[in-house]
Amino acid sequence: MGQEEDLELYRSRLLESLNSRSSRFPQGVSDPIQVYVNERRVGELEGAGIGAMLQVQCVEHIDTVQLRTEEGVLLGGLAAPEHGFRTDRLRISTDAIELCVHNRAQGGTLSALFIPAPSFWGRAWKSIAEIGDRLVAHRPDTAPAYGMRMVAFTQVLLAIAVVGLVADRVPTWMPPERMPSPVVQTASLPASPPTETARLEQQLTEVARIQAKIGEALASQQNGIVQLHQAMAKLSSNQESMASGVVTVKEEVKEELEKRLEAIGRDADRATRHIASKGRVEQEQLEATIHTLTADNDRLSKEVAGLEEHNQTLKAKLQTTVVSTSKAVDPGPERLLKMADSIQATQQAPFLFWVTFSEGTSQESIDQWVNGMKGHKGVLNEGWQEVRIVPPPVPPDRFLEQIRGDKIIKAARINQ
Amino acid sequence: MPVTRMQSTGSKSQTMSDRTATVSRLEEVVSTPDEFDQVVLQALPILLDRATASTKRFLRETGQWNDDIEHEKFALRWGSEYLERFLICGRTEVPCRPLFLFDSLVAKQHSKPEPFCYHPDLLRPLGRFLDGLAARAVISRDALIALFHHAYGWGPGEVIAVTGLNGVESQRIYKNFRRWRESGWQRTMDEMGLTKTELAELGNQQQRHRQRFNSEAERLIRVAQAHYRKSEPDHYPCLSRSQWGEMFTQGYGCDYRIWHLALCLDCMQTAWGLGSSGSNVGEKPRLELQVRP
Repeated sequence: MGQEEDLELYRSRLLESLNSRSSRFPQGVSDPIQVYVNERRVGELEGAGIGAMLQVQCVEHIDTVQLRTEEGVLLGGLAAPEHGFRTDRLRISTDAIELCVHNRAQGGTLSALFIPAPSFWGRAWKSIAEIGDRLVAHRPDTAPAYGMRMVAFTQVLLAIAVVGLVADRVPTWMPPERMPSPVVQTASLPASPPTETARLEQQLTEVARIQAKIGEALASQQNGIVQLHQAMAKLSSNQESMASGVVTVKEEVKEELEKRLEAIGRDADRATRHIASKGRVEQEQLEATIHTLTADNDRLSKEVAGLEEHNQTLKAKLQTTVVSTSKAVDPGPERLLKMADSIQATQQAPFLFWVTFSEGTSQESIDQWVNGMKGHKGVLNEGWQEVRIVPPPVPPDRFLEQIRGDKIIKAARINQ
Repeated sequence: MPVTRMQSTGSKSQTMSDRTATVSRLEEVVSTPDEFDQVVLQALPILLDRATASTKRFLRETGQWNDDIEHEKFALRWGSEYLERFLICGRTEVPCRPLFLFDSLVAKQHSKPEPFCYHPDLLRPLGRFLDGLAARAVISRDALIALFHHAYGWGPGEVIAVTGLNGVESQRIYKNFRRWRESGWQRTMDEMGLTKTELAELGNQQQRHRQRFNSEAERLIRVAQAHYRKSEPDHYPCLSRSQWGEMFTQGYGCDYRIWHLALCLDCMQTAWGLGSSGSNVGEKPRLELQVRP
C-alpha cells in the first residue's frame, strides 16, 4: 500500500512538473543557452550577446533541436523534417531565438540566432512610429516610416510659419523707444488699430489657407505614393512572373538540351561499342590465323630439318656404297651419278592418304579425281580408298582440309 | 451507503466519459501551436500513462522488466521525459494529430539502440541517485559541474583549479554551484523519485560503511557515465596524459575538459595535476560520494 502511494505521489509530482513547465521559464536569459541536436550537446548561444549565432553542421540527419538553460530547463525545440528546411522562432520571455534546420541527403545544418528584446529607446521609437502611422490613416503598410516623416515635416513647417508670423507682429505691437511691462503689453493689445486687427485676421486666414493647401498637397502626395506603390507592386509581380517565365523557359531549354545530348551520347556510345566489338572479332580472327601459320611454319621447319637429316644419312650411305662398289668393280663416274639420281628419286616417297567418297559417286568420277590429283589408287579397306600422290606443297593437314572441300569427298585422313 | 456508492459510480462514469472525450480530441487534427498546447496540456495524465505503458511494454519485450516499484518508477520517469520533449517539439509539427504524433515519438525513442541507461542495480536508491546525477549532467551544466562535487567532494575553487579554467569560466562555475544548491539538486531528486527517507538512508549507509559504500558507488557511476558520455560531442574521446597536458598548457578545450573529466573517472585520474600547472600533485582523486549538494 505504501509503495502504491509512493508511486502515485511520484506520478503526481512528475505531472505537476510538466504542468508548471511554462512558468519555470526564466525572466530574461543572461546565461548561455545550451543547444542540443538529436539530444547531444553541440554548443551554446550567448544569451546576453546581441545577435549571437551558432551554426552546426552534422554528418547525420537532424531529428530534433532542443534549447536548454544551464539548469537543464527545456526552453524550446524543433522537430526537423527528414528532408528540406524548417524554421521556427521561439519566444523566451522578451527575447527570441530563430532556429533554422536544413536536412539534406547527407547530413544537416542548424543555425540558431539569438534576438534580444529591443532596448527602452528602441521600444519608444517604435511606439512613436506606430502613433505617427496611425495619424496618417488609410496608408499602405509598406511605407510606415515615410508617413511618419511627412507628418513631422508638416508640423514643423506649420510651427515655423506661426513663429515667423508672431515674430513679424511683435515689433509692430511693441514701440522701439521703451519696453512696456507685460501688463502694459497685455493692455495695449486691445488698443491696436482696427486696421492692424483686420490685417492680422487676414494673415491668419492666409496661414489657415496655406495649411489647408499643405494638407491637400499632402493628401495628393499620399495618393500618389499609394498609386506608386500599387504600380511598383504590379511591376514587381510582373517582373516576378517574367523571371519565373524565363526560369521555366531556361529549364525547358536545359531539359531539351540535356535530352538531346543524352540521345547523341547514347548513339555515339552504341556506334563506338559496335565498331569496337567488330574490331575485336576481326583482331581475334587475325590472331588465330597468325597462330595457325606460326604452328604450321614450325612444323614445316621440323620436317625440313628431318628431311635434311635423312638426306645426309642417305648421302653417307651412298658414299659407303660407292666406295664398296668401286672396290668391287671400277665403274665410270656417269654410272655412279645415275645411281645417285635413282637413289634420290626413291628418297622422294609418295604421300599416302585415305578418303571415302560421297554416296552415289561413280567410279568414273573417282578415277577422274585421282587422276586430277596425279595419284594412284591403292587398296580399298572398309570403304576407305588408299590414294598415293606426289607429296603436296602444303602441309598434310592443310592438304586434307583442301580435299575435304571437294564435292565427292566425304572424309579424308592420313592414317588407316 | 447506497447513495455514496451511486455517487461513486456516477463520478467514475463521468471520469471515463471525460477521458474518452479527451482521447478523441487528441486524435483530431490540430492546426496551430496554441491549439496544440491547449489540447495537450488538458491531456497530460493520459499521455503520461500512455508513454509509461509503452515504456513498460518495451522493457517487457526486451526482458528487462520486473513487477516492482523500482521498475514502475523507471517507466514513469522515462514516460515523463518523452512527454516533456513532445510538449516542446510537437508544437512545431502542426498540423498534426497529437496522439499519433506522440506514439510515433515514443516509438522512435524506443527504436534507438540504447534508449535509456538500464541496469538493475541502477534502479535501487544508490543507483538511482547516481543515474539521476549523470542523466541530469547531460542536459544541465549546473549538474555537470556538480558532478565534481558529488564524486570527489570538491568546491568551486577546486573545480576551477583541477580543470584549469580562466577568469570568465570561473565565474560561471560559481554560478553553477549556487544554482545547483538552490534548486537543481532538489529538482533532480524529485525527478528521480528519491524520497527523503531514501536519501537519509543513503547518508546512513555512507557513514556506517564508508569504504564499501564508495566502492559500490564507483562501480555504479562507471556504468552510468559510460552510457551518458555518449551524449558528449562526438569529438570528445578519452585522451592520453600527454594530450591532456597539451590541452591544459595551451589553454584550449575548456568545454572538453569540463565535460569529459566530469563524466570519466579514468580520465580524471589521467589528467590529475595538469590543471594547476603541476603544483597540485597530491594523491590521485578517488570517488568520495557526496549525497548532499
